[in-house]
Amino acid sequence: MERRYILVCLLGVIAGLTISAIAQEHANPASSPSAAAAAPTQSTAANSAATHTSALAKPVPDAAEERALRMEGEKRFRTNCGRCHQAPHKFPPRVMAAAIRHMRVRAMITDEDMRLILRYMTQ
Amino acid sequence: MQVTPDRPSFRVRWPVCSGQQRPSRSVKRWLSALRIAFALLFTTFLAIQLNAQSQPGDEVKPAPLLTGSAGFITTFDGGEPHLHPIATPLLLVPIGQRWVFESRATFESDLVQVPGQSGFHGTVEKEVEYAQLDFIANPYMTVTVGRFLTPFGIFNERLYPVWIRNLQSDPLILPIGIGPSNASTGAMVRGGFKAHPKFNINYAAYFSALSTVNKLDSARFAGGRAGIFVPAARLEIGGSFQHGLQDERSNAFGFHAIWQPPALPLDIRTEYARSIVGSGYWVESAYRLSQVPFLQNELRRTQVVARMQQYFVGENASDDLPSVNTRLFEFGLNYYFIDGLKASANYGRQFSSAGNSNVWTMAITYRFVIPLGRTGGE
Repeated sequence: MERRYILVCLLGVIAGLTISAIAQEHANPASSPSAAAAAPTQSTAANSAATHTSALAKPVPDAAEERALRMEGEKRFRTNCGRCHQAPHKFPPRVMAAAIRHMRVRAMITDEDMRLILRYMTQ
Repeated sequence: MQVTPDRPSFRVRWPVCSGQQRPSRSVKRWLSALRIAFALLFTTFLAIQLNAQSQPGDEVKPAPLLTGSAGFITTFDGGEPHLHPIATPLLLVPIGQRWVFESRATFESDLVQVPGQSGFHGTVEKEVEYAQLDFIANPYMTVTVGRFLTPFGIFNERLYPVWIRNLQSDPLILPIGIGPSNASTGAMVRGGFKAHPKFNINYAAYFSALSTVNKLDSARFAGGRAGIFVPAARLEIGGSFQHGLQDERSNAFGFHAIWQPPALPLDIRTEYARSIVGSGYWVESAYRLSQVPFLQNELRRTQVVARMQQYFVGENASDDLPSVNTRLFEFGLNYYFIDGLKASANYGRQFSSAGNSNVWTMAITYRFVIPLGRTGGE
């Protein structure tokens, strides 16, 4: 097979996946995959939509939301970071922000996971 | 079915007329590179346009960091001792909201005993493993240019640092698909996103140009890697593909998987790779003894590791790979003193037609983080 066909196929797949994911979120933000996946357990299911919304829109959360965000952030932290290495302790906020940006590129964690982990690790 | 020699082709051909020369091979290469660059730019532009208002989620301004790891590894390979000090500083410079410059260097030495001389002798090897500029175009895509670790399989990119790896020895198949010096020189698009409520997708597609610069060499190839991560099951599976654009123009492919059963402190990782130079696999499991009901303070810091791997020689020989079919079994014990500081002891038994041997390894590794500016913690 010619190399350019392979490359075109790869680029096509990437573009298709990107467009489909963006279209999903834009078309139905209330039931977006991100919001649905923000529910870690049934006990925190009621807070999941608020968790996602507050994580992305940055309103000031109340105590319950804050607790839910932390739980969700810790869960994402253990799930994502633990894939490759032992969980590190918390670093100062600006250090953690740099590290999480690096890991977003290196480990390809999602944007939502990055926000929640950063929030958990800096509070 | 008979095929006539002058069968019409649908491929676009260069016009060849009398007195008109075919474009040279180098011109074709440049045109090909331009096409690829254009396609990458177009894809990036499309994604940016579709999600123009999205911003990276940095509520806190990141500080530049000097991080990395250092280690001292002692190996007894077939009875011959090797001392292997290594330091891999990693510089991280976040720029604005969307950019990151990152570079990692390695300073290492393999000290051995020389007959007739006392002590251990060796030279310090210095190498810039990668120096890349990342542009976070949107939540779904990051564009990387420069010299970057080749995203083939998982070990080279994600498990290579000495403070991360569970066993200090490299897998036998590590050199497959990652090019000379473990890195590529060119451009890459990559990212991860939630494609379904139950799983994320991550991907990387890259092009590497030929470089013969000492310590910065790379091969000309293109490839990609894609994976699916299921957070609820803590399972990631994926595959890699690479097409060589020089010499034999051969293909390489591989598969990888990582699974951490949610109920157990257990990591299971595996990789398979195949190319013209050889093929093989490794399977590794690491169990943290945190569930043992006695000596909890010590045992929760202790990890038991086992790895089995096998390598099969391919059509073309490679200096970086074993010259004969090889099997290797390894067992190890890791003890985590504090975050980032780890002591390891491993034993391995290698079986091959060139002779069986034991490999003992002891190591102490440390991961450091030094902020180069205000940390925001005060």
